[in-house]
Amino acid sequence: MQRAAGRTPERPTARAGRVRTHRAASPWLFLLPGLGVVAAFVLYPFLSTVHKAFTDARTLTPGTWVGLRNFRDMLDDEQFRVALRNSVLYVVAVVPLTVLLPLLLALLVHKKLPGVTFFRSAFYTPVVASVVVVSLIWGWMLDDRGLVNGILRFLGAGPVAFLGDQWLLLFSAMALTVWRGLSYYMIIYLAALANVPRELHEAAAVDGAGPLRRFVSVTVPALRSTMVLVGALSSVAAFKVFSEVYLLAGPTGGPAGQDTTLVMLVQRTGTGLNGRVGYASALSLAVFVLTLLLMLLVLRADRKEADG
Amino acid sequence: MTRTSGGEKALRYLLMLAVLAVSVGPFLWQLSTSLKSTTEDIYTYPPGLLPEHPTLDNYQGVADIVPVWDYALNSLKVAAANVVTNLAGASMAGYALARLRFRGRKAAGLAFVAALLVPLESVVIAQFTMMRDLQLNNTLTAVVLPGAVGALNVLLMRNAFANLPYEVEEAAVIDGANVWQRFTRIALPSVRGTLAAVAIFAFMGAWDDFLWPLIVLSDPDRFTLTVGLNFLHGTFQQNPRLVAAGTVIAVAPLLVMFACLQRYFFRGVGEGAVKG
Amino acid sequence: MPPSRSAAAVAAPLLASVLLLGACGSGGDGGGGGSADGKPEGSITFQTWNLRSNFKGYFDGLVRDFEKANPGVKVKWLDQPAENYAEKLSADAGAGTLPDVVNVSPDLSYPLAKAGLLMNLDKEKAAARFKGEYTPESWQGNTLPGLDGSYAFPWYLNTGPLFYNKSLFREAGLDPEKPPENYDELFAAARTMAGRPGGRTATLAGTPSIEDFGRYGVRLMNEDATRFTYNEPKGVELLTRYKELYDRGALDAQALTNTPEKSGQKFLEQKVAMNPGSAHDLGTFKKNAPALYRNLGITDAPNNNGKPNMYVMGLAVNARGKHKAAAVAFAHFVTDRRNQEAFAHQVAVFPSTKGSLDDPYWTKDDGTDEGRVRVASAKMLKGAVNYTPVVMSDEMKVVLKNEVAKALQGKKSPKEALDDAAAQSDKLLKRS
Repeated sequence: MQRAAGRTPERPTARAGRVRTHRAASPWLFLLPGLGVVAAFVLYPFLSTVHKAFTDARTLTPGTWVGLRNFRDMLDDEQFRVALRNSVLYVVAVVPLTVLLPLLLALLVHKKLPGVTFFRSAFYTPVVASVVVVSLIWGWMLDDRGLVNGILRFLGAGPVAFLGDQWLLLFSAMALTVWRGLSYYMIIYLAALANVPRELHEAAAVDGAGPLRRFVSVTVPALRSTMVLVGALSSVAAFKVFSEVYLLAGPTGGPAGQDTTLVMLVQRTGTGLNGRVGYASALSLAVFVLTLLLMLLVLRADRKEADG
Repeated sequence: MTRTSGGEKALRYLLMLAVLAVSVGPFLWQLSTSLKSTTEDIYTYPPGLLPEHPTLDNYQGVADIVPVWDYALNSLKVAAANVVTNLAGASMAGYALARLRFRGRKAAGLAFVAALLVPLESVVIAQFTMMRDLQLNNTLTAVVLPGAVGALNVLLMRNAFANLPYEVEEAAVIDGANVWQRFTRIALPSVRGTLAAVAIFAFMGAWDDFLWPLIVLSDPDRFTLTVGLNFLHGTFQQNPRLVAAGTVIAVAPLLVMFACLQRYFFRGVGEGAVKG
Repeated sequence: MPPSRSAAAVAAPLLASVLLLGACGSGGDGGGGGSADGKPEGSITFQTWNLRSNFKGYFDGLVRDFEKANPGVKVKWLDQPAENYAEKLSADAGAGTLPDVVNVSPDLSYPLAKAGLLMNLDKEKAAARFKGEYTPESWQGNTLPGLDGSYAFPWYLNTGPLFYNKSLFREAGLDPEKPPENYDELFAAARTMAGRPGGRTATLAGTPSIEDFGRYGVRLMNEDATRFTYNEPKGVELLTRYKELYDRGALDAQALTNTPEKSGQKFLEQKVAMNPGSAHDLGTFKKNAPALYRNLGITDAPNNNGKPNMYVMGLAVNARGKHKAAAVAFAHFVTDRRNQEAFAHQVAVFPSTKGSLDDPYWTKDDGTDEGRVRVASAKMLKGAVNYTPVVMSDEMKVVLKNEVAKALQGKKSPKEALDDAAAQSDKLLKRS
């Protein structure tokens, strides 16, 4: 992340070092609001979660130290294995699509044509509507008597139990995530596309490069860091997916709980009146470590490509 | 600028229309469902795309039981506050991380990266306990606070500032401008595109949030829209028309607002990019 | 942020005098809260569970009447949706913002009481004096194992009627006036329904719940509620028979994922022939599915041992509330005979106050369908049992649901599935 976000041709820190350009306290004053919020409302709660992972705390009781018991339980927990599988599948299926499709969409609406702003805005509808709204709509469309099955049946197929089958449910949720991601990540690409000097494209066009060549040899390299950013963002989001699956598959995660994702498991285990906060904290810790590994993987792949 | 051929134009419009159908179609279907009267069968094959006898009864029915408009207003307040705090907090922190040299810069940067990685869902109970200690639970302030400065936004801003050529500021340093002046007069205007993106993300993030407001708000008068819709969904699951009406109410004001402001959003993105 | 210790020492006497003047101060000690004796006064909150949409008028009236009779008290009514109710309670309990009077069922009050958050009504004189107004069973029904007392004023009782679709029964060649009374009859009817000419119709939309195991005659837990026993042969037998139904298409295709709400919708759409419901559903049917309503049959859930299941609702009082006297008075007011009977006239639930069910309204058939069902159910209520073990947490219910689903899918044998479910639940129980 450091590297991806901070990759610049100039090295500002090195140059700033030559001339003292600010008072010693200034940076910290700049950082204060952001760091304060993040430290108080994210990092501190996280530390307390780490502590709780080694206790048998429950929702209404603070619990006592139990060492590694929660982690040993996790290895025996079939639900954990199922959830891990689903979350990994989610990343594998969703991330390539959310890196590529929004880029293509951004290219489609990047070109100034009459009415293109209308399309851009209209595409943004699924993001403007909240995930709860969108999930309610999809749930209604994919219902076995909903719109999609109505159309299928009209065409002489179906009905398909989208919300009754473990895999169809997961795919439906993935489709929903990608669908919403289209315009969400399109915005990031549009912002980055605007930074690509037009001259590059024009030079390439003058050289006689076709649209595909220009995409591969001009656009992609220029947007590489953005693609990495989108890849990192969407893989973390996909790994931590909650709302879509929760709202489509239900709180218990589809048939026999087979559609449970990791965060759903955390939520289900750790909340409620009898919530096993200790075990849920251990699960959260596992999610955290795995997310970290995932990020490293994305950035490592990026670095290798950049070096090679 | 290269000229766009007629064929390419047609293809582009065709593609855009296809994406339009996919992205907006479901909402129109929901709108149609919400307008169908109780006497109309909503489960027919083929599906009836248009209501036979359009009626606003469902909207009346929903608003009678659940104050959907108040929920929308609460969500708007939260989202607006979230935009302001994120723009200010994230741009300042991002600027410091990208353009200032100081001991602990790396550690500060890592703190944001670490925060980005912490699954919010795993810390909500701890956050909630904290709000209780601050006596803020069941207030909209409590809804805003944990996301007031998003780590992701800080990193996006840092990325944007880091990409500015250093010469831009060097001149100002020589002219004797202090940090704050360089930040507000030179750096900020140069990253308008990213600021627009951050504003959009902050707004959407707050608008979208479901789990946290669900936990921290217990008074139905203070529900945000997502929690309110969950309430609606739980109450009217047996009548898709009413749920549809509720979702339309939830979406409509935002779409109108977005339609009015989208020029700013997209022009902001465009202009910021041209100048940056 | 809490003030520093010395500041608190200075402020304490001041605060105390302010409190005496009746101002709203922060209790701050986190322990006992206010006193339950004395004159009811102050602002209290009252939380119900998914009753706003149908009974807004009734509760507004209750609050108004109570405030008129007790001028010093202000009641704020909150209602929570059916879903996530336990989450909401736990969040409030964790934050110390539990409402003063809160609608609970025994399985919800158990963890709250265990954490010392609910008033033990038997130990609080101001509350215990009302004990005689309720039927002994209903008071007993709110008594929690190992916690030595009752933790909620008994409120409405519900046997949970079973609705069935008479026209679907007729089409399948079944007698619409003879709904199945025990599980043998239920399974026979379901087989007929699934095999009817012109398309299979599912009989049930859901999988067997813990109540089904109970009504089937399965022993659910050992005597001291420390071990689950639903994996005994009787339980395996029930699940095996359900598996057979599932394979024949006698359960809805989405039975494994249907929530109770979703099942209700299937029944509304006339896609399944029978569905357990609550009395609240009646109004919904009338309004949204007039065709179904005309053909609606209401009966009791099939039962092998003559003891129907009973859902027990109660009103608990927050043990740490600031205005306990007002809270106790209000909880008693809502659950007193007059108000319980008035509520039960609005919707087909049953009052838990002594003598109420001897009222002609519940003993004399007035000739209507509803009246007949009401009288029959009221009679059944005498031997009714709350099957759901109080110690069975939501997580344990999910465990059972998931393992049952695996058995129905054929991924495990019914015995394996129930053995696994019981083992997992026992482990959870031991860890609690």
